[in-house]
Amino acid sequence: MNQVSRALTEFQEMDALAAMDTPIHRLHPLVKLLTTVVYIFLTVSFDKYDLTGLIPMVLYPALLFSITGIPVGTCFHKLRAVVPLVCAVGIVNPFLDREVLLQVGALSVSGGVISMLTLMCKGIFALMASFLLIATTSMDAICMALRKMHVPGMIVTLLLLTYRYVSVMIEEVSVMTDAYHLRAPGQKGIHYRAWGSFVGQLLLRSMDRATELYQSMQLRGFQGEFSYVAAPPLRGRDWAYFCGMAAGCLALRFVPVAELLGGMVISVD
Amino acid sequence: MIEFQNVSFAYESGVPVLEDLSFTIRDGEAVGLIGANGAGKSTIFKAMLGLIPVSGTVLVDGVPVNRKNLPEVRRKLGYVLQNSDNQMFMPTVYEDMRFAPGNYGLPPEETERRISQVLAQLGLTELRDRYNHKISGGEKRMAAIATILVMQPEALLMDEPTTALDPANRRAVIRTINGLEQTKLIASHDLDMVLDTCSRVILLHRGHIAADGRAEDILRDQALLEANHLELPLCLAGR
Amino acid sequence: MHMADALLAPAVAGVMYAASAAAVGVSVHTLRKDEQQPAKLPTMAVSAALVFAGQMINYTIPGTGSSGHLCGGMLLSALLGPQAGFLSMAVILTIQCLFFADGGLLALGANIWNMAFYGCFVGYYLIWRPIMHSKWLSGMGGKAAGRVKIILASILGCVVTLQLGAFSVVIETSLSGITELPFGTFLAVMQPIHLAIGLVEGLITSAVLVFVWEARPELLQDVQTSGNSGRCSVRTTLIVLAVAAAVVGGGLSLLASGNPDGLEWSLFGNSEAGYSENMGLDEDSFGVSSDAADTAASIQGWTAFLPDYAFSGSDSALGTSVSGLVGAGLVAAVAAAICAIGGFFRKKKSSAK
Repeated sequence: MNQVSRALTEFQEMDALAAMDTPIHRLHPLVKLLTTVVYIFLTVSFDKYDLTGLIPMVLYPALLFSITGIPVGTCFHKLRAVVPLVCAVGIVNPFLDREVLLQVGALSVSGGVISMLTLMCKGIFALMASFLLIATTSMDAICMALRKMHVPGMIVTLLLLTYRYVSVMIEEVSVMTDAYHLRAPGQKGIHYRAWGSFVGQLLLRSMDRATELYQSMQLRGFQGEFSYVAAPPLRGRDWAYFCGMAAGCLALRFVPVAELLGGMVISVD
Repeated sequence: MIEFQNVSFAYESGVPVLEDLSFTIRDGEAVGLIGANGAGKSTIFKAMLGLIPVSGTVLVDGVPVNRKNLPEVRRKLGYVLQNSDNQMFMPTVYEDMRFAPGNYGLPPEETERRISQVLAQLGLTELRDRYNHKISGGEKRMAAIATILVMQPEALLMDEPTTALDPANRRAVIRTINGLEQTKLIASHDLDMVLDTCSRVILLHRGHIAADGRAEDILRDQALLEANHLELPLCLAGR
Repeated sequence: MHMADALLAPAVAGVMYAASAAAVGVSVHTLRKDEQQPAKLPTMAVSAALVFAGQMINYTIPGTGSSGHLCGGMLLSALLGPQAGFLSMAVILTIQCLFFADGGLLALGANIWNMAFYGCFVGYYLIWRPIMHSKWLSGMGGKAAGRVKIILASILGCVVTLQLGAFSVVIETSLSGITELPFGTFLAVMQPIHLAIGLVEGLITSAVLVFVWEARPELLQDVQTSGNSGRCSVRTTLIVLAVAAAVVGGGLSLLASGNPDGLEWSLFGNSEAGYSENMGLDEDSFGVSSDAADTAASIQGWTAFLPDYAFSGSDSALGTSVSGLVGAGLVAAVAAAICAIGGFFRKKKSSAK
């Protein structure tokens, strides 16, 4: 299986997850989108040394993973996209910021280590939240939410059409890649002699496809604007979800939950 | 229903595609359009739909195809593309079926009624909310026909409706075509399918009509077919 | 070069969102006036999908073991023009962010700016169009001159837009205050890497464009050099670009100078002192939490557990108290429990069925 067809599989996996039926899936896409944005916003707003404040934010993804039953593991292979840059930036912190912030017995922890860990946690939490959004909301539902937010119709239509043709194109590229490598064993990528023609051929075909696509739209009465099914109104439970989640995230952001809990346990001891 | 009077068309480079073509398709007829690659089958469709500028006159239901009449003409004709992926550009089958009625301003209740009716007619009810990029090739072809039927066109233009289908799906498409009462114009190299679905055949050769007559007569004429890069349908080859 | 959510402070992310949204708005507005726009929409979508898939192809770089990729921004603006190319690129980045977690929801604004804006607007108006319109090389004869111009414009375009993009990544990350890496060092690492990447991407992109130009020249923007009135709008564009850069730069530096500790909004105070101060101001709305915090403080003061643990840093290096660590551990346990309970009930439910 080549890299391209792996991407196709990943695409289909996300679609399959979004097609599940759980209480979260049934919520209005707009509240899910807004909740996710609020959560990520609050998560990245933590101070770079505030690791203990940040960790309770894990409760939101944990809750969603639990309600939906989506295995936590499914999102971790997506970390490969986020990890390199975050690590590259974070990894230098322990070397440059050596001021010791915490001493537990013989172990001293420097600010750099803490800020690196904070950064990585932020990256993982934000990723989990985005993942949960798309795993519980189909692309057309997200587009519905965008329309409800008055994003220009052109963008929404473009997003929908592109989404529709991404899987078609990935499949074509995948077939072409396989065909190329069958005739060029031992080559890791496309040889420079074929650099232009490989995508170029596909591009020419795609332009013909676009023409045919436009004709097929015209023949069915298209005049520049797509008409959509009206987005359903927000119901009580949608509002309840949004308010509850937002309040919860705000509380986690501003109440030092970890310290409180820790303090209580220690005081009981 | 459809009439071509001395229609010609050439590419910008000057290469002629249709040369002085005249024929008439009557209401309710099922006509097979056959001929070698590049004989002009798809161009004839495009001329009817007003997608290319031709010289001569094309009449659809008595209305000349020109810029002014395009909406009226296009509403009477349903064009099923060879590549269903290019036809089905919305995320789900349902939304694709809604596309044309939405553009023509049909009332929502009427649209819903038609969608349910067409899906039931073609036996596709369970495809309704499926994603276009996730249904199989056979399902996609049937769904593409459904997105056209929902407009209730008076004539259907089908470009290679049976290519790349397995025998069972091909048979299902043929059954569907035979169940439709509209005027049908089917361009195909699948001559067995043409024999099963069409009573009349127009054989094209380099932009001219090489033969026009009853399907049984033309599709049995081995010499004529072979002279035009075609072969006898398998069921008539008598092996 | 995708920015991750974690690398951005909310304020920086917000500024970049605003800048990208403005560029999207202008593009949509421009395209709406274009009568060809409805016909362009399917082409934009199909091209975007093509670039999305095309960027996954590995191109072998001769003489090295590594591989390069296609530069989407330059290709799309050469095919579709700057506005349509920009929107297509923005849509690609959105889908990448949603489905492949490349970048993040909050970083999307920054990513659109870093990759789509520079690639399409700067790449087109400052590089592609001037070069394609220039009378330069006209002595060479049409075919050869066209090819040289396309190659030059692609390479230059990719290098410049990638340099700008990398520079923006460094600025955004530094202003967000999440790295200890000095600005200069970070820059010195990022720019040369992206110079190399830009060269390779430019070569690959130019190969594709030359192929298209030889097969179907009408598909490319500005190749039939009509040579009219292009200069005036280049100047207009320069002004627009300068203003945009000033707005973004000014916005970011204002925020930066307003809070030298980084870019966090004062609401999310950076230091413990600022934090409690802000909380104090909001005591009415956050009364409960303040009470809780007070209670916690008193409990902690009352039972001084592990008295010999020590902060050697200032009080502002907060949050890493032992009780905090213990609490964090507890929270993690609670989270695991929530997951386990969810799984437990689901299993029960399914076995009950």
